[in-house]
Amino acid sequence: MNAHAGNAERAENNVEYRIAHLQERLAAGELGELGMRVEPRGSAVAVMGTVPTAHCREELLRAVDEELAGLAVHYDIVVAEAAAPDHPEEVA
Amino acid sequence: MIRVAAVGDIHMGLDSQGLLRPAFDTLPDCADLLLLAGDLTRHGTPEEARVVAEEVAGLPVPVVAVLGNHDHHDEKPEEVAAVLSAAGVRVLEGQGMVVEVDGARVGVAGTKGFGGGFVGRSGSEFGEPLMKEFIRYTRRCADGLRTALDELAGQGCGTRVALTHFSPVPDTLAGEPPEIYPFLGSYLLAEAIDTAGADLAVHGHAHAGTEHGMTSGGVPVRNVAQPVIRRAFSVYHLHGHEEPTTASASAGAFG
Repeated sequence: MNAHAGNAERAENNVEYRIAHLQERLAAGELGELGMRVEPRGSAVAVMGTVPTAHCREELLRAVDEELAGLAVHYDIVVAEAAAPDHPEEVA
Repeated sequence: MIRVAAVGDIHMGLDSQGLLRPAFDTLPDCADLLLLAGDLTRHGTPEEARVVAEEVAGLPVPVVAVLGNHDHHDEKPEEVAAVLSAAGVRVLEGQGMVVEVDGARVGVAGTKGFGGGFVGRSGSEFGEPLMKEFIRYTRRCADGLRTALDELAGQGCGTRVALTHFSPVPDTLAGEPPEIYPFLGSYLLAEAIDTAGADLAVHGHAHAGTEHGMTSGGVPVRNVAQPVIRRAFSVYHLHGHEEPTTASASAGAFG
């Protein structure tokens, strides 16, 4: 392996760039998802946010599994709540 | 008293059909109008817009919307707006509309708005043409909002609401990474709201933000992004002035 090949391999395995590529995929792909927080936490990666539907959650998990394969991932994904509010706010 | 229901960032796709309709069907009991604060779709396709349209079609309260950045992604915002309009939604961009509630005139002025950042941490019209156009575009949005609010005052609206997608203030972005604030809103929107006056400013866009904020002129701001409010919509009770005030006199006079 020459020095340049080694650099390329290191960049390919660079967790920060892999996170960036995942976020690009989430934005540009089927999900159109820009609101997900994806951050390194220790030796793992945390994925946090709210998705509109259960289907979106499945798609998100699939994308993360593929883009961050081999890394430990902590998920905190909420599906948006669709219930009517139980009280108003008096704006004064 | 005016009862304003609002939600943004519902991000509807073809798998979203019927999700919000049961909650929207309760609106006649709790609200006089429904505001939609942009990002109604995921990619801004007419097909996704039809899902949104079906969700609100035939509601017995007026529905007023602005588009968000997601609703522009497919580069067909006019088609998205047309689909919503056909379902009875009034889509605003630099415009206002008046709703009559028990004889009181309620004005809603709307613009998508755009980014640029907040005082002391904002972009400016300098340098590359793209950078200058970025800020000029935000300024045009803000100018349209101010003009619409002024016109609503002239039309005798005792209560006025500013509806945007991007945020006018940093308060309601708390929880978002500070580094991305310039992509989430602009002080130009708040300056327009404070100059023309309003009883409430409603926006979306910042999913990790917080619900409550205020402009420096004292206008309450609410981030109604669905991930923030964690329900189908929020309801705000406004106790606006029954007599119209001039735009210059009203700035900061409400609280």
